[in-house]
Amino acid sequence: MSTTKETILSPIFDNNPIALQILGICSALAVTSNLQTTVVMCIALTLVTAFSNMSVSLIRHHIPSSIRIIVQMTIIASLVIVVDQVLKAFAYSISKQLSVFVGLIITNCIVMGRAEAFAMKNPPIPSFIDGVGNGLGYSIILLTLGFIRELFGAGKLFGVEILPLVSEGGWYQPNGMLLLPPSAFFLIGLLIWGLRTWKKSQVEQPDYKLAAHSKYKEAM
Amino acid sequence: MSLRQFLDKIEPNFHKGGKYEKWYALYEAADTIFYTPGKVTGGTAHVRDGIDLKRIMITVWFCAFPAMFFGMYNVGLQALQAMPTVGVSEVDGLRGAFISLFSSYDVNSWWDCLIYGAAYFLPVYIVTFVVGGFWEVLFASVRGHEVNEGFFVTSILFALILPPTIPLWQVALGISFGVVIGKEVFGGTGKNFLNPALTGRAFLFFAYPAQLSGDAVWTAVDNFTGATALGVAAADGMDALQNTYTWAQAFVGTIPGSIGETSTLAIMLGGFVLLITGIASWRIVSGVMIGMIATSLLFNAISSESNYMFAMPWYWHLVLGGFAFGMFFMATDPVSASMTNTGKWYFGGLIGVMVVLIRVINPAFPEGMMLAILFANLFAPLIDHFVVQANIKRREARLNVS
Amino acid sequence: MSANDSIKKTITVSVLLCLVCSVLVSGAAVMLRDTQKQNKQLDKQRSILEIAGLMQPDKSIAEQFAAITPKIVDLQSGQFTDEINASGYDQRKAAKDPKQSDIVPADQDIASIKRKAHYATVYVVEKNNSIDTIILPVHGYGLWSTMYGFLALKGDTKTVVGFGFYDQGETPGLGGEVDNPKWKALWTGKEVFDDQFKVKINLVKGAANPSNPNFDHQVDGLAGATLTTRGVENLLHYWLGENGFGPFLANLRAGKA
Repeated sequence: MSTTKETILSPIFDNNPIALQILGICSALAVTSNLQTTVVMCIALTLVTAFSNMSVSLIRHHIPSSIRIIVQMTIIASLVIVVDQVLKAFAYSISKQLSVFVGLIITNCIVMGRAEAFAMKNPPIPSFIDGVGNGLGYSIILLTLGFIRELFGAGKLFGVEILPLVSEGGWYQPNGMLLLPPSAFFLIGLLIWGLRTWKKSQVEQPDYKLAAHSKYKEAM
Repeated sequence: MSLRQFLDKIEPNFHKGGKYEKWYALYEAADTIFYTPGKVTGGTAHVRDGIDLKRIMITVWFCAFPAMFFGMYNVGLQALQAMPTVGVSEVDGLRGAFISLFSSYDVNSWWDCLIYGAAYFLPVYIVTFVVGGFWEVLFASVRGHEVNEGFFVTSILFALILPPTIPLWQVALGISFGVVIGKEVFGGTGKNFLNPALTGRAFLFFAYPAQLSGDAVWTAVDNFTGATALGVAAADGMDALQNTYTWAQAFVGTIPGSIGETSTLAIMLGGFVLLITGIASWRIVSGVMIGMIATSLLFNAISSESNYMFAMPWYWHLVLGGFAFGMFFMATDPVSASMTNTGKWYFGGLIGVMVVLIRVINPAFPEGMMLAILFANLFAPLIDHFVVQANIKRREARLNVS
Repeated sequence: MSANDSIKKTITVSVLLCLVCSVLVSGAAVMLRDTQKQNKQLDKQRSILEIAGLMQPDKSIAEQFAAITPKIVDLQSGQFTDEINASGYDQRKAAKDPKQSDIVPADQDIASIKRKAHYATVYVVEKNNSIDTIILPVHGYGLWSTMYGFLALKGDTKTVVGFGFYDQGETPGLGGEVDNPKWKALWTGKEVFDDQFKVKINLVKGAANPSNPNFDHQVDGLAGATLTTRGVENLLHYWLGENGFGPFLANLRAGKA
């Protein structure tokens, strides 16, 4: 049983759901073109992961294993719908930009993965904390992406002009590619590269190794 | 002391444990510019040949020279022709100083055109070389391998496929992306699956579309807009194109476009040397031609009233845009193309089909060569896989029969 | 088999779970429905105000929108109609419904909209019992996407108050510049009809020249985005022309709408 601190911190750098487990990439590409939607998405996902983990953990002794995935799905789906409804009511313009991606939290592998891997085996409080930790791990990557993409793609942060654009009389020529979803792929790749240079233990073993050349004598 | 002796004397400093161990890559690069590499094939390799990567890459580099010189001339020619129409008589700043140092602004003098073009091309090339070279040396030093002549090729190809008016900081950004993301992250030359020069250009194309496409970027004169031949054909049809440029003009290359891509003639000059020396695969080049001709004939036959590009015949496709340059210099990149001989046909064919498809069907990009080649690059390993599997199956069947 | 996997337990758990979840979900939906509806309407009103260039930041949206009346126009006859209720009508949905729309013949369909709804929602600002501003919904195909926007005209049905799009998917940096406030500002004061009320508005390559006699009918094209520019021009020509709002605007001028 790991300590609370470990549960919450390890998913951030040591076992990051995006950078190490490569989960939840889909929404990371879709919602990070500006920080505002990114922040909302991060909060939504963290809440859903935390509460779904807690709920699953609460009833973990009563879930029949034959339908456990469906049970988890139902809980997650209900939470996501509630979050979606709340967003529509209180942050309409953001929920419009997030469009289907709030709904797609249901299929986000991080949420399902934590419910299945952690909440099914641990008591509610650690499960809740684990959910928060993984949500933060997801958030830190998304926020980095959102920061870079909005700053260099549109010259703004949270919609506030930071680098004045050429088209509006300033000097900054925005990088249009950063506004396109594929740019998040490159950025995630570079982040993973950086992270693995820093924490060497995350580097995967190569699938195979080239054998050494046979010596001249052996071949003869 | 001769140069060789000097190099030999300082060499130990660069070996493992030496004073300048970290700079080995640079030493090696300097040494092999002047002398043949000391290493020869050892071990149990079957094939021994006088040709090595270095020689291949330098040959490609030289073969790009006709396109480069003609490109410079043409940049000047287009600009000097355009100048009177916007009422400009000279260029400001450093470029202007450079031009007035060597020549004047006479459109009829080929020397003046060349110098004018050089004033635009050389900065682009120097930036490409310095910035790209920096990454190359950095990775070589960190990873402890040698600087590779492949970069000579990447740098010149990258510089030649840019529009003449491109801002230099974009050149730097583009080549950085091409070298780092297109090549080094995969382990350097020989391990990249995309053509680095095209990767860099594709990055710029999507990041800064305003400087890489449209009508204003092809002539090196401020405030002058002139569509490329492909742009004219896409917007106003084949008749308009033929009224603007003759086929011979497009073939020789006196039309606006990317620096080194306009002259099919100059490109073919270098291209045929590559084919004869066997550096460029004739299978790939033929595959591209066949794919392009077949697809354009198909579109000619279908014909469309609203889309003018359907009517473009194959011999126009050949001389416009980056087709010829891409076919001879980019598609034949031995690293990112298919490796098997059968695979090369399919690989080339895929490029030929895709380029016409993008040019004709896609409304946004009048040019499709860059994307077609990158697309085919992605499929090259798959094509090879199927060719190899087919070969294994065939031989297996033969074994069972006997 | 553990006790959890008996059929009885499985069914009990799933029924209970479904009950709890459905109560939760429907509770949230019912409780928040009104706020959501309000939000949706506010959002639409805001975009109309912004695009028509009528937005005053210091006033609340509801307050500003009080002066604006949505009205339904029968595109066939070119007259206001009371047949359907303006508040519940969604023109974009109707344009997709075969019962509420017509196929636009290919030779008329310069804006590539394919289907046209029978009715359109226009927004009218009245002052002193005469029409001060009229806001027309317009849409058409650009390079990749159908661009949806509003064109706000003065009471003379000729002078542009504001023009812009609330939904478009053109290339960022090129065609996407239709959202550039500078470009949108160019439209204010332009005239979309000539003196005989024939459609006359063009997007020109480069910058429109103020010394040109047609300057009032010209707007700068978008640099590097020929097809988006053409799309904008086409959709204006379509919606202002005979098959769009042309008859309605004529009626309006004659006071017969």
